[in-house]
Amino acid sequence: MIHIENLSKEYKTKRGTVIGVNQVNLSITEGEVFGIVGYSGAGKSSLLRCINLLEQPTSGSIMVNGRDLTKLKGENLRKARLKIGMIFQHFYLISQKTVGENIAFALKAANTPRREIKSRVLELLEMVGLTEKKDVYPAQLSGGQKQRVGIARALANNPTVLLCDEATSALDPNTTLSILRLLKKINRELNITIVLITHEMNVVKEICDRMVVMQDGRVVEEGSVYEIFSNPQAELTKEFISSVVSFEVPEAILNKVTGSIIKVLFKGNVAGEGIISDTVQQFDVRGNFLHGAIEYIQEVPLGLFLMELQGFPANINRSISYMEGRGALVEVIRNGH
Amino acid sequence: MGIDIQHIIEMWPDILKAFNQTLYMIGVSLTVAVVIGLPLGVVLFITDRGLILENRFLKSTLGFIVNLIRSIPFIILLVALLPLTQLIVGSRIGPEAASVSLSVAAIPFFARIVETSLREIDKGVIEAAVAVGATPWMIIKDVLLPEAKSSIVQGITMTIISLVAYSAMAGVVGGGGIGDLAIRFGYYRYDDTIMIVTVVILIVLVQIVQQLGDWTAKAIDKR
Repeated sequence: MIHIENLSKEYKTKRGTVIGVNQVNLSITEGEVFGIVGYSGAGKSSLLRCINLLEQPTSGSIMVNGRDLTKLKGENLRKARLKIGMIFQHFYLISQKTVGENIAFALKAANTPRREIKSRVLELLEMVGLTEKKDVYPAQLSGGQKQRVGIARALANNPTVLLCDEATSALDPNTTLSILRLLKKINRELNITIVLITHEMNVVKEICDRMVVMQDGRVVEEGSVYEIFSNPQAELTKEFISSVVSFEVPEAILNKVTGSIIKVLFKGNVAGEGIISDTVQQFDVRGNFLHGAIEYIQEVPLGLFLMELQGFPANINRSISYMEGRGALVEVIRNGH
Repeated sequence: MGIDIQHIIEMWPDILKAFNQTLYMIGVSLTVAVVIGLPLGVVLFITDRGLILENRFLKSTLGFIVNLIRSIPFIILLVALLPLTQLIVGSRIGPEAASVSLSVAAIPFFARIVETSLREIDKGVIEAAVAVGATPWMIIKDVLLPEAKSSIVQGITMTIISLVAYSAMAGVVGGGGIGDLAIRFGYYRYDDTIMIVTVVILIVLVQIVQQLGDWTAKAIDKR
């Protein structure tokens, strides 16, 4: 669907060349929701904006729908863009045109006949739940509503790809959730591939299938969201994940703990099967939760617990083996004393 | 200094005639300024770096011409353009003749105002239109001009008021107008009555134009 090869983007500034994107390779499959995560300045926005050539890459190729966009110019590039929708953090609606006119604008770009425009605008407004706002100006809408108009405009010409540039970063948590649900619905019902960039792991957790983490213009980690959440490799990835799943236990509490401290991770269906209670019953150890949570990543549970085990060392070792045998990942953080 | 009512009544036909001449000169030059200056301002904007029809050569050439005309003092422009005036209106004197120079001065003035108004538009809005696959013409017609229209109306107000001031110099080529009357009677002949009357007329005219302009700009803005 989207193949990015050796993509680099350099910016010439007064202080010399700044590398925005550095030799990135990515393959995004049709129908998936793909997340690009990184702090500001990591190059994620440049990368996204290269996908529809809002920024001309310095080198590399971008294949979308089987065509190399970097080879297109003028009218051909414009036509290719009709099939790549984009939404923005600050919405960027035409403030002097009504909601309906904003959407009609996109349809006019595709030379849609006048009578079809009218019915298509209504159809799009219905899809994003803003039917009664057709004749209202953007200034009278809330942030979430403006983003819905942005989505309707982006989808007007039945694109195959939707690019989301920090689409929820200017919205409050509840509105963010409703926009993410709408994006997920669009992804499922219209089979539109979504590429989004964000610095919020919650967004990724909520709707992405696969993700990459970027730092200094490079991809530092790539994989399915579930795998990355359960087993992050890069330091930066761990940092991002700790923003959602935090295992900070106060020092004072840790000092009082005398038993072994272990970190247990349950994936998928294993999460709910009562492994811990079985363990504690069978091996004459006492368990004590220090921290823990079950996160649902795209409705698949991921359980992460930090616990203290008290008992004879042999029993503790047997407990750990038992839990591992049942599919949990166990990591000993500290042995008992 | 004193106001002689009798004198005002005597002079009234002249004042009225001068007022009409002022309106005529401003009307003609404003129309020309909008018809030519608006597209020129748009071109100056869209040919700039990183914009939809980036063209450095065109941008710098047009920019140079605009600056050139704007740097010539109006009174000199007025005289220097007399051959052109002769060619266009067939005469070197009268309000028609003065309108040519006023138009030439107003075009670059208004074009720069339009360019500045367009620069105030959030670049993101233009970018969103590019991303949607809009043609450059659509972007001009449906994004740039609507988004800048309120600011452009303010620019028209500014242009009219500048033209009121410039038209006072039209007397040099026999253009007439209120400003000319003020100079000929009020200044050269120490006719305080005419001086005060003409100045009051100009003040009232400028105030009305400004109020109307502000009101219109506000009324058409949907933000």
